[in-house]
Amino acid sequence: MKTKLILGLLTIALLFPTTSRGQSLPSGQSIADKTYARNEGISMSRKLTMELKDKRGKVRIRETTSLRKYIGDEKRLAIFYITPKSIMGTAFLTYDYPDASIDDDQWLYMPALRKTRRISAANRGDYFLGTDLTYEDIKLETRISRDDYNYETIDKETIDGQETYVLEGIPKNDKIAKELGYSKVKLWVDANMWMLRKAESWDVAGNHLKTTVISDFKKVQDIWTYHKIEVKNHKTNHETIFRISDVDYKTVLNDDVFTKETLVNGL
Amino acid sequence: MKNQQTKATKFFNKVTAHYKAILALSIVVMIAVSLFIPTMTKDTSYDAFLPKDDPILVFRNQTKETFGLKDPMVIAIVNEQGIFNKQTLQLVHELSERLKTIPGIDPDEITSLSTENNIVGTEEGLEVDPFFEIDELTDVKALEVKTAIDNFELYQGSLVSDDHTTTLVVAEMLDSYDKKQHEVYKSLMALLDEYKSHDEQFYLAGEGAVSGYLIRYIDEDAMKTNPFAAVVISIILIFAYRRLRGVVLPNIMVLASVGIALGAMAAFGVDFFVITNGLPVVLIAIAVADGIHILGEYYETAAKHPKFSQKELVVETMIHMWRPITITSITTVAGFLAIAASSYMPPMAYFGLFGALGVFVALVYAVFMIPAAMMFVKPQLSRAYKRDQKIDRFGKLMVFIGKVVVKQPKTIIIIAIVIIGFGINGASKLVINEDRIKNFQADEPIVKADALINSKTDGTSYLDILIETPEVEDIFEPENLQKMEALQTYVETLAHVKGSISIVDFLKKMNQSLNENNPEYYTIPNNRELIAQYFLLYSASGDPTDFDNYVDYDYRLANIRLRMDTSEYAYEKPVVDAVNIYLAEHFNNDTIKATTTGKVTVDAYWINRLGFNHFLGAGLALLVVLIFSALSFKSLWAGILTIIPVSISVLFIYTVMGILDIWLAIGTSMFAAIAIGIGVDFAVHTVDRLKFLLNEQGLPIKQAYSEFYKSAGRALLFNFLALALGFSVLMTSSVPPLSQFGFLVAVAVSVSFIGSLTLLPAIILLIKPKFLNITN
Repeated sequence: MKTKLILGLLTIALLFPTTSRGQSLPSGQSIADKTYARNEGISMSRKLTMELKDKRGKVRIRETTSLRKYIGDEKRLAIFYITPKSIMGTAFLTYDYPDASIDDDQWLYMPALRKTRRISAANRGDYFLGTDLTYEDIKLETRISRDDYNYETIDKETIDGQETYVLEGIPKNDKIAKELGYSKVKLWVDANMWMLRKAESWDVAGNHLKTTVISDFKKVQDIWTYHKIEVKNHKTNHETIFRISDVDYKTVLNDDVFTKETLVNGL
Repeated sequence: MKNQQTKATKFFNKVTAHYKAILALSIVVMIAVSLFIPTMTKDTSYDAFLPKDDPILVFRNQTKETFGLKDPMVIAIVNEQGIFNKQTLQLVHELSERLKTIPGIDPDEITSLSTENNIVGTEEGLEVDPFFEIDELTDVKALEVKTAIDNFELYQGSLVSDDHTTTLVVAEMLDSYDKKQHEVYKSLMALLDEYKSHDEQFYLAGEGAVSGYLIRYIDEDAMKTNPFAAVVISIILIFAYRRLRGVVLPNIMVLASVGIALGAMAAFGVDFFVITNGLPVVLIAIAVADGIHILGEYYETAAKHPKFSQKELVVETMIHMWRPITITSITTVAGFLAIAASSYMPPMAYFGLFGALGVFVALVYAVFMIPAAMMFVKPQLSRAYKRDQKIDRFGKLMVFIGKVVVKQPKTIIIIAIVIIGFGINGASKLVINEDRIKNFQADEPIVKADALINSKTDGTSYLDILIETPEVEDIFEPENLQKMEALQTYVETLAHVKGSISIVDFLKKMNQSLNENNPEYYTIPNNRELIAQYFLLYSASGDPTDFDNYVDYDYRLANIRLRMDTSEYAYEKPVVDAVNIYLAEHFNNDTIKATTTGKVTVDAYWINRLGFNHFLGAGLALLVVLIFSALSFKSLWAGILTIIPVSISVLFIYTVMGILDIWLAIGTSMFAAIAIGIGVDFAVHTVDRLKFLLNEQGLPIKQAYSEFYKSAGRALLFNFLALALGFSVLMTSSVPPLSQFGFLVAVAVSVSFIGSLTLLPAIILLIKPKFLNITN
């Protein structure tokens, strides 16, 4: 009984400062919902250059054309590698189903083998094609998950002159934490565009894992679009920079583009 | 000569006049320099045996840096019932996780069954997954892990022993814990201790562990041998003079010599190496000698001149003694400097340099501090030197030896010639060898762990081969990969090479997995693009840093790591040679280059120099000693005579090493130069005293010999006992190379002593060299 009382008091004491400001700060969940409600266009094509840097500063640069389309709530993403020469023509395709209980489908076409290989349903926390972003990061882009975390909005900060809400998220349970590879995240969400600007994450053991910065926001065909993502892995000192250009939301992409056949034939 | 004597008298008159200031200064300097000792850092790594800018070492460090290879701590988990069960695998996981939290361990460089990924082909693709997930681990799942390992050649022997009773958890240390390996070792042992009650046994070895263990081990050893040496020396001093000052003064010299030598080492930022542990004991034994001779002379003078004031006694003593002790100290310094000059290996070079400093300090203290300190006390007689000139039993022993020499000079010379014959034969059969694990006694836990891991798995000695290609992604060239594969096949045929790992092994495994796990496809794909695409496919489910240890980030450099089950030079050297010959034939053209590196290569390189260094050092020491004594006695003959006993002592040791199967290794290789530098003292004293008696006093030869054995002979006997017993203290060291070193020097010194007091007078008796002006 006594412990309960103490715990209760503690909770109140802990909540007090946030509740007092709570009136001015929106709940984390509502912010998450807003990041989903944003207009992202139906189809999009862009040039995506992946710059990967190891801890010794050696760099791999891979240029790709990346296409994306929403078919209903289902998100399809295709990445066609242009350079380096050795992987030219290699293409990656993913179908990302809205129903979380259904595993996403992923394939990689390997021109040297003339075959498409299925990539087994990866853990959401697995690294995406040698980058420091996880499959989950790629899937969410500038959104923040609606289902995985218990959020607390802790502050307001300015990044690049723009107001952001600062959220702290703790995975709802250990299973989710393990899947994602995070025990805690701290997120900075733009208060006007409702896009993620910055994220810090901690691994399951509580070590500072990554810092992600999304920047270079420009309106393209009236849609707010980021042009750069930088991720630094503090444990491995590996770094990833995504540079984005030639964004186009207008060209309608046919559903056929997102098939295994197109992977084989290329764009 | 007369002039010199007056100069000396003036000098020691001054010294005794300012005795208070001199003593105060002596003590202040000694304490001030000794205060640096606590700042000394220990370096027990084998890399310490090469100068930091040696190209071989620089290259090795670059390779280590490129591929993130560090000195590992290797934990073996042994379950005689087999490790593929839930409980043991759970333990592997738990240990791997807990290791990440140990200070000094790189949390990202832990390799075990729970951290590594399995590569499996699926119907349509490739899966890279941990061998097991801890929450899903059951005994059935554990058996699946067994199957996975059976299908993953790469991990057989490197991660799991072929008999499935042993699995390894390899943890690498952060560079920041260099020289603090003992702390990490201690933490790991404490961690393993918590699992004592389990059915599994745990063993800890590997390069990092050996370094860590050694740091603690030599510490404990020093705590034991140094005080022991001081006690032994004090006992000898008590026997020699039976007086308190006879014990205290030489001990102050010893403190100064050791304190200043080690203090200077620390002040100059020189690390304390394994062999440095022998330095204090060596200096204790040597430094005390000057004190013995001075006090011997003092008591003798006191007995002869009962009316002398203390000042007269001290000055008289020093006038007689400064020359021989200067000569002997300088020859000893020469011995140490010969080591410094001939040694490419820093630990030995520093041993020589600071050993020389210690001996020099002892000389300075003998000339300044001892006379100054003596001025504080009243004249004193020693019971060992009675006024009636009656000699004690030590003196009697020496007189007896003298009689034998005078009667049987030819027999003595024949015995010497026989010893020389055996010695030359022994020298030609010297075995140069070294094994780091032999730094420990055979029953130490680290030795057992090392033996177990080496017998059960591929071993803990690494030989790395760096492959270099000219352009980015050239490693993907099938021709290059095939060359690497052929190289691996070849090296695995060499004795004691138990396995090798490179990117080729992973690639073959990927190829097999992507072809329905068909073993026929455990090959290198014959298409550069396909190989590049394999790695991209792998990255779809593996980690970006998975191949860090095997290939550099732009696929231009690769590393092949060979594992050997021994760290013995005799086995490592042939492997390095064979690999180098192979590389010269098959690699090293415009398209691909390969270089051996890694611990095994570095060791083979510097240990190979030990033999040359040894003979160079011994030769240099002999030469310097010869020149110096020839100059100081103003006679080449005198120079030659003084080096005869030490030369024989060294040859005698070669025979002993052959019979006892002692290697010429790090510790033992230094014995010759030191034995020469120290051992020559007896010959110097002998020649000096005989010259004085024969040439200056003009005594007939028989009387001169009798005088010599009675007085100088006795002091030499105690000098010898101090040295021989002092070095014998090193024999009690638990570090075998040090104890062997102590043994060899003790024997060599004994032979020098015997030779100087038998052979040398015998030769003089027969050939009657001119400089002695012998009259019958």
